[in-house]
Amino acid sequence: MTALAKRYWHALINQKKLFVYTFLWSFFLWITSPFLIILLKSVGRNWFGKKWLPPELTLDWYKWALTIANIPQVLSNTLIIAAIAVTISTLLALPTGWALGRRKVPAKEVLTSIILLPRMIPPIAYALGIAQIFYRLHLVDTHLGVALAHVAICAPYAILVLSSTFEGLDERVLEAAAVCGASQLRTFFHVTLPLVLPGILSSIIFTFTTSYNEFTLTLMTYGPHTITLPVRTYLAVGEGYWEVTSALSIILIIPSLFVLFMVQRQVQPEKLVGGFKGV
Amino acid sequence: MDDNMIELRNVTKRYGPIVANANVNLSVRRGELMTLLGPSGCGKTTALRCITGQVTPDEGRVFIDGVDVTDVPTHKRELGMVFQNFALFPHMTVYENVEFPLMIRRIPQGQRREMVMDALRLIRMESYAQHYPRQLSGGQQQRVGLARALVYHPKVLLLDEPLSNLDAKLREEMRFEIRDLISRLGITALYVTHDQAEALALSDRVAVMNAGRIEQVGTPDEIYESPRSRFVADFIGLSNFIRGKVLAIERGMAIVAVNHIKLMVPAAEGTQVGQDLLVFIRPNDVQLFPVDFAKAENTFEGVVHKLTYLGDTIDYRVIVAEGVQIRVQTDGKVRFNAGEAVKVCLPEARCRVILE
Repeated sequence: MTALAKRYWHALINQKKLFVYTFLWSFFLWITSPFLIILLKSVGRNWFGKKWLPPELTLDWYKWALTIANIPQVLSNTLIIAAIAVTISTLLALPTGWALGRRKVPAKEVLTSIILLPRMIPPIAYALGIAQIFYRLHLVDTHLGVALAHVAICAPYAILVLSSTFEGLDERVLEAAAVCGASQLRTFFHVTLPLVLPGILSSIIFTFTTSYNEFTLTLMTYGPHTITLPVRTYLAVGEGYWEVTSALSIILIIPSLFVLFMVQRQVQPEKLVGGFKGV
Repeated sequence: MDDNMIELRNVTKRYGPIVANANVNLSVRRGELMTLLGPSGCGKTTALRCITGQVTPDEGRVFIDGVDVTDVPTHKRELGMVFQNFALFPHMTVYENVEFPLMIRRIPQGQRREMVMDALRLIRMESYAQHYPRQLSGGQQQRVGLARALVYHPKVLLLDEPLSNLDAKLREEMRFEIRDLISRLGITALYVTHDQAEALALSDRVAVMNAGRIEQVGTPDEIYESPRSRFVADFIGLSNFIRGKVLAIERGMAIVAVNHIKLMVPAAEGTQVGQDLLVFIRPNDVQLFPVDFAKAENTFEGVVHKLTYLGDTIDYRVIVAEGVQIRVQTDGKVRFNAGEAVKVCLPEARCRVILE
């Protein structure tokens, strides 16, 4: 804290810096305060009125959440649906991204817009259409059905990331491998794959988090057997237990944070964004 | 044909209506450094890709070391190649990049290390073995590219504009380094470039390419001093072209009429009286004198139209007769001003004739 105070003291002397520091700290608080409130709510008891902090701490709400909200079942639904959605999206996006990124495709811009369309349309309108079709096909309340609905918004992400990854793959590097004596197969394993792997990984992470957090599309296609964490959390709000809802929210956040740290540690963030044009 | 390490025989390659290579014949002798020189789009890249196997010619055959490799895939041709954009593997260290061709050839670990370190020593990059390509400068990356191409002792070394992505000063240094390295190893090399200065400085022989055809093959001296076509003369170095008609031929000299002036030039083989031809002379071979200079052969009165100061030389445009403008480059010892009358001398021995 003394270091921080010292920095502020120096910042006071240099007013421009003071402005920057204050802005950054406000921004940080603005981003984190909802999480802080939820976190406190989920571990506090008898927290009413004008008190700044909860008077008693407890883990009861988490126990409630686990049993009443049937967390193990709900979490496994969420993960199974996300896994199916990621698999289908990636399988769709690999060839599409390759074609868009490396082949001469007529009307490429138009095609890309069409692929992005599900992300442009308001999700609720899109979800209604999907629900009508899925009722007829008996896909509602199945893991595959909910996952398929998710694919509509996961696949565009995957295609976008992978086409930019493949576009950034330098043809001449592959030629160099061939001249060095590597057959197509060995070029693929020693050069192509290691170069596109970060892109594929980032595509998987993006699609996974999209599916994991998806609410609107799930709401229109779920049933008693396929309830997911975001939907369960929303339902808990209706049931009126704010503390349990908060606990659910925290449970919902944990895997996201885990993924985020995995990304930070395993993959260089600059490689995630634009393929690796910079390398 | 035993003496040719690389040979293109009657190679033709079309891309739709565009003929990239039209009946190209090219042979690179064993141990020679040959340059394939031409402007962009002349087909030199296609010719190179026929040698690497990334392009299969529509007609004609490709030979490497006397073996017909036209239908052999790239990875079995035992080539070493250096790329314009370096094309190093970005996910491998310098060591791994150089090791790659050896790993592919399943050379035992111990021997591999020795060969990699030898190659790195050759380019003075031993201390950079654990660096990644992105941590190196352009010149260093290209040296690694060279090491990767040479490490497995390929039959031939192909260089595709290896210096184009480097800045001017480094380019000149690297030019000598590459020349020196190739001479020391005695490897056969084909060097593709659009830079005529590079071609002249590096090569044992130069092949000048234009519009899908090889225009002329010769030593740098031959190419520069006696170009066989207007294109070659124009592409390599600066040139004045004067169009005229042959009036007479006496004792090996042709008298060429250009408007009202007459030029004496050495007659090329096959020159005939009455023929239209091109006379060409390099701007630095033309001499300028004050207007009161006594009359000599091939000396004409003219007016300085324009001059440009280039540091070590001054570039004049002199109008000699109606429609005849001659470019002259002189050292700055005697200076003339724009609009000044001068005498222009085109020394007979420096004039060349191009029959069209």
